[in-house]
Amino acid sequence: MAITFNQVSYEYDAKSMWSQAALQGVDLHIEAGKLAAIVGATGSGKSTLLQMFNGILKPTSGTVQVLDVTMVAGEKSPKLQQLRKRVGLVFQFPEQQLFEDTVEKDLCFGPMNFGFSLEEAKERARVSMERMGLDLELLSRNPFQLSGGQMRKVAIASVLAMDPDILVLDEPTATLDPVSRAELIQLLYRLCQDEGRTVIIVTHRMDELLPFADQWMVLHEGRTVFEGTVKAFVEQADQMERYGIVVPQSIRYWRALSDKFGWSGEEPCLSAEAMSKRIAQYVNLEDISGEEESI
Amino acid sequence: MSEKLLIGRTIDTGSWVHSIDPRAKMVAMMLYVVMIIMSNTWLEMVCVLLFSLVVITSTRIHIKYYVRAAKPLWILMLFIFIVQCLKIEDTDGIVLLSIGSWNLYFEGFRLGLFSVLRMVFLVSFTAILTFTTTPGRLNQGLEGVLKPLHWIKLSPERLTLMISIALRFIPTILEETQIILKAQASRGADLKELPWKEKGKMLVSLLVPVTVGAFRRAEDLVHSMESRGFRMKEPRTKFHRLIWRKRDTIFISLFIIMLIAVVWMSSSGNGEIWSL
Repeated sequence: MAITFNQVSYEYDAKSMWSQAALQGVDLHIEAGKLAAIVGATGSGKSTLLQMFNGILKPTSGTVQVLDVTMVAGEKSPKLQQLRKRVGLVFQFPEQQLFEDTVEKDLCFGPMNFGFSLEEAKERARVSMERMGLDLELLSRNPFQLSGGQMRKVAIASVLAMDPDILVLDEPTATLDPVSRAELIQLLYRLCQDEGRTVIIVTHRMDELLPFADQWMVLHEGRTVFEGTVKAFVEQADQMERYGIVVPQSIRYWRALSDKFGWSGEEPCLSAEAMSKRIAQYVNLEDISGEEESI
Repeated sequence: MSEKLLIGRTIDTGSWVHSIDPRAKMVAMMLYVVMIIMSNTWLEMVCVLLFSLVVITSTRIHIKYYVRAAKPLWILMLFIFIVQCLKIEDTDGIVLLSIGSWNLYFEGFRLGLFSVLRMVFLVSFTAILTFTTTPGRLNQGLEGVLKPLHWIKLSPERLTLMISIALRFIPTILEETQIILKAQASRGADLKELPWKEKGKMLVSLLVPVTVGAFRRAEDLVHSMESRGFRMKEPRTKFHRLIWRKRDTIFISLFIIMLIAVVWMSSSGNGEIWSL
């Protein structure tokens, strides 16, 4: 198990009159090597949850276990340096997390802190730039001169350069153009499938991740109200509206089809491609059975 | 970082003090400052204390928040107290403690204590202003109080606009700093875990992005204000208008009466018996 939360709560400004509960008794299990997606309305505690994965925020009650590090509320936490090397966190607003004066320095910041030499760090910077489909000419630029989309890609690249085992991203596809968006999702999917990394993504665009995510989690007012596979999610889709989540078109469409044709027990086909195949298969079956009858 | 910030935090309990005109509250606070400085004897101190307690209780905000407001200044208070104890020499007075050639006189002790008390009263009591008035109203009040600046060709509107923008951006900039600190921490440079020398370096590398961010924000603000037709010198309609009511006059009168009482006590020497 890569990440386990046990009755975790978090309060901002704890012990003051202005304390605000962000998470309340969250239980969570994410297995290593899976792609997990977290959804929820704005203000449901998603970003707070993510910041606990690498110990930026510590629980005000409950236990958080990430890889081999355990953080218990109220106890002095262990040194987190090693954990942060293994858990890469991309924040929601990338333009606020770039702080060096060139893109290259920003990319090298992580690797150098984790003990790589300048040469190695530069090499890693180059590789992760290419992975994100960024022009290597950008390396010498100031991050503040980049466009919003480029900044986001650089921010993701700077975390990739650390070569983390667990990759946590807060709405990584916001502000990206449709092509880059699809490319990024593909890249994250490959990181998970081919390289066995755990990838956790917070998103507002469920459509993008439906074909890829192994596990879905729904947060509502600081609690986990759903945790399970796509199949379970589709079955409970009716209840999701209550949690401020707009059920994606593909799920609605699949539900309509499966209700009509009695496919409800099946693994849902949620991409346009998979769905058309399923329909074609059904139509062919009908044809065949129809022909059989006529004969 | 933001957790300890008590400035500009309004605590709304809906008491009558909350509904007092901010201008009245500001003037009252000035009167209070004078009152505090004027009181030199135990009797006057006790009177001011009782008066303060009455007003504080009527805000219906728990007293611990007032105490907490004065807390950050305790080092300064201790310093003043010690200096007073060391410096005051009163050769006819009672000696409390004597170490070598140095004597601790009762007078020094008393003055030290008074300075500390004054400071506590001042900070705690003036916290009423921020606790019971939203920053917007406070600013409007300030504008009203600063009206006389027109006579010397200064624009109070300009001044209060600057103050309100500055106050508005303190939490934002703190928050931005926090985000960068978090980003640095998650890439292996946690300020809490670094040695001191590295800490200094990290803080310097923090300055650039925060300053750049502040400028970018300022520019955005200017554009958004201009695109909504803001002109500095044009007269503007206020969303909330300040109306001076009877209770505002009564509120100020209370302070004036109290001030007169303090002045009378110290001039007629009534407090002498109490002052030891």
